[in-house]
Amino acid sequence: MLEILRYGVILAFCVSFIALCHLIVKTYLFNKKPVYAKSQSRPIKGIVYALGKGMMPWEKESAGRHLLTYLGGILYHTGIFAALFYLFLLLISHRLNSTVVLILRILMFAGIFSGMGLFLKRSTKSQLRRISCPDDFASNLMVDVFLLLALTDTYTFRFRSLFFAVAIVMFLYIPVGKIRHCFFFFYSRILFGLFYGRRGVLPQRRKQSRVNYLI
Amino acid sequence: MNKTGLPKDSYEEKIDKFDSKDVEKALRIFKERLHSDYAAFLNSCVRCGLCADSCQYYLTFRDVESIPAYKINLIAKVFKKYHTQAGKRISRWLGAEEISQVLVREWIDTLFGRCSLCGRCALNCTMGINIPYVIRTARGALAEVGLVPPGLQSTVDTAIKSGNNMGISKEDWLETVEWLEEELQQEVNDSNARLPVDARGSKFLYTINPREAMFFPLSISAVGKIFYAAQENWTFSSENFDVTNYGLYSGDDVASGEMSKRLIDSLKKLNCQILVLAECGHGYNSNRWEAPEWLSQKYDFEVKSIIQVIADYIREGRIKLDPSKNQKRTTLHDPCNLVRLGGLIEEQRYVLKQAVTQFVEMTPNKEKNYCCGGGGGQLAMTRFAERRIKVGKIKADQVLRTGAEIVATPCHNCIDQFMELNKHYKLGIEIKTISEIVADALVLNNPKKISFR
Repeated sequence: MLEILRYGVILAFCVSFIALCHLIVKTYLFNKKPVYAKSQSRPIKGIVYALGKGMMPWEKESAGRHLLTYLGGILYHTGIFAALFYLFLLLISHRLNSTVVLILRILMFAGIFSGMGLFLKRSTKSQLRRISCPDDFASNLMVDVFLLLALTDTYTFRFRSLFFAVAIVMFLYIPVGKIRHCFFFFYSRILFGLFYGRRGVLPQRRKQSRVNYLI
Repeated sequence: MNKTGLPKDSYEEKIDKFDSKDVEKALRIFKERLHSDYAAFLNSCVRCGLCADSCQYYLTFRDVESIPAYKINLIAKVFKKYHTQAGKRISRWLGAEEISQVLVREWIDTLFGRCSLCGRCALNCTMGINIPYVIRTARGALAEVGLVPPGLQSTVDTAIKSGNNMGISKEDWLETVEWLEEELQQEVNDSNARLPVDARGSKFLYTINPREAMFFPLSISAVGKIFYAAQENWTFSSENFDVTNYGLYSGDDVASGEMSKRLIDSLKKLNCQILVLAECGHGYNSNRWEAPEWLSQKYDFEVKSIIQVIADYIREGRIKLDPSKNQKRTTLHDPCNLVRLGGLIEEQRYVLKQAVTQFVEMTPNKEKNYCCGGGGGQLAMTRFAERRIKVGKIKADQVLRTGAEIVATPCHNCIDQFMELNKHYKLGIEIKTISEIVADALVLNNPKKISFR
């Protein structure tokens, strides 16, 4: 049974990956138009900024003002990547040493904690609830359960079948709901960098002016 | 009757008549105009809501409808319903929704009435979604079914019909230029000083905001004086002189393209080399960045703001300034379309630092600056005027904190909003364009003293 589920996870991952690639290609082909206006700066600078420094809380007011949510988001996603890495190692039957397991446990624990925090925030803040749809809650919960089972699996094998089953459902759901942002995040950030990079808006050579100029 | 008990106006009646034919039309144009970039953005929003505090509508009203994520999701609902397989099948689960009269009402109130297209949210979006450009696309769909709020639509219509948004006739325009030329000659004490019109082969074709000709002629004189001092080879066009492009705000790409094309036609007809744009934020964004896309055309000429031209004059020593002529504490408002969306950030600072003795920055400034509240067509849409003034409080407070007596801003749209804010919030400030400040600081031989504004 476990072996079937193991192949099921691999298959679900492949289906998910292909579906996401299809979505990206479909989106890319949506009314593609060449760019005619002459660039003011090198777009690549904007892309590098968008995927790096541009996500830092001191660069982005929204992150700076909501530092807890920002950190929660980072920990959540780090935890997810740790769980995916752990799942991958399980699938290829790779044995882990205790230090790596400890690191993964810490990351996954922080991920679950943050994920639940974000879920609570979405559930309790009325305005956030109003901009949400059922998918927002379901996606969050699904990933939280996946994380919890991954963490549990580092202690006991007893729930491995359930862990694999949840992983299958999660992978198959990714292209359907909001978790598709795992691909679209990079797409959007690159477009963001291109836009502001071409126009010479970002990255700014000079910081926010604070000095007053008095003769 | 509407909610306030007043009789419905023709615009509201039009919304009431929104039917399946309109749905079809709106969806067609929405699909046509929905660039692949915007489709990616509509797939990306995770509704984290972190964008809320970056929007001055939200900071003012604290209501969910003002959250940028809410606004973009009004559009994403429709995108999911008609353009994604999952959205078609499990609509409620994914928040997908068919376009309807109720949704259209919300689009109008939110996308036109709660957004100045300033782009501050985009800069702060975790995913990097270009929210104002997606909103503009939805506005374009509303424009296709004739649902752009009347004030904004009539501004576009006037520009299309008469060649400029104030409906100034050619005769009136030429008369104004003639009168201003006489004033300039007196001021610089030189009967050869000119405000040339239709001078073929000039280096610059200079454009203006028609409001300058109607209400702020000294803005035109100021630029004329600067060109005179720099001994520039430039001209106005007698026919196409309007730098503004309200199609940028109504979302109508066809009208937008038509307006920008007229300027290009005049530039070609007069055999000029560079299109120089007056101090106008959205005029700069439209003609520098958007028009080549609307017209699907690579330009074989340069498009510059007058601010860049002035900065070059100072660097090259073609004009000389005496900052002691401008001793009042001066601050700078960054127009969103010029700075955050246009990339013209340092030039106006360089110019001001040469032209005044006390320059003080607002906080925040540059690309992080707050909108004055008058952008996005808000000044033209009287039905949202009350909101516009309330939203402007953030800018008014920003100005007060600087302790400045003069607010310089390279945008006539912003100037109009500032004039209202000045009155409403009793700011006690003077509002000037950069050119006016530079003109006041110009060092000329034997000029008569005239203060610009």
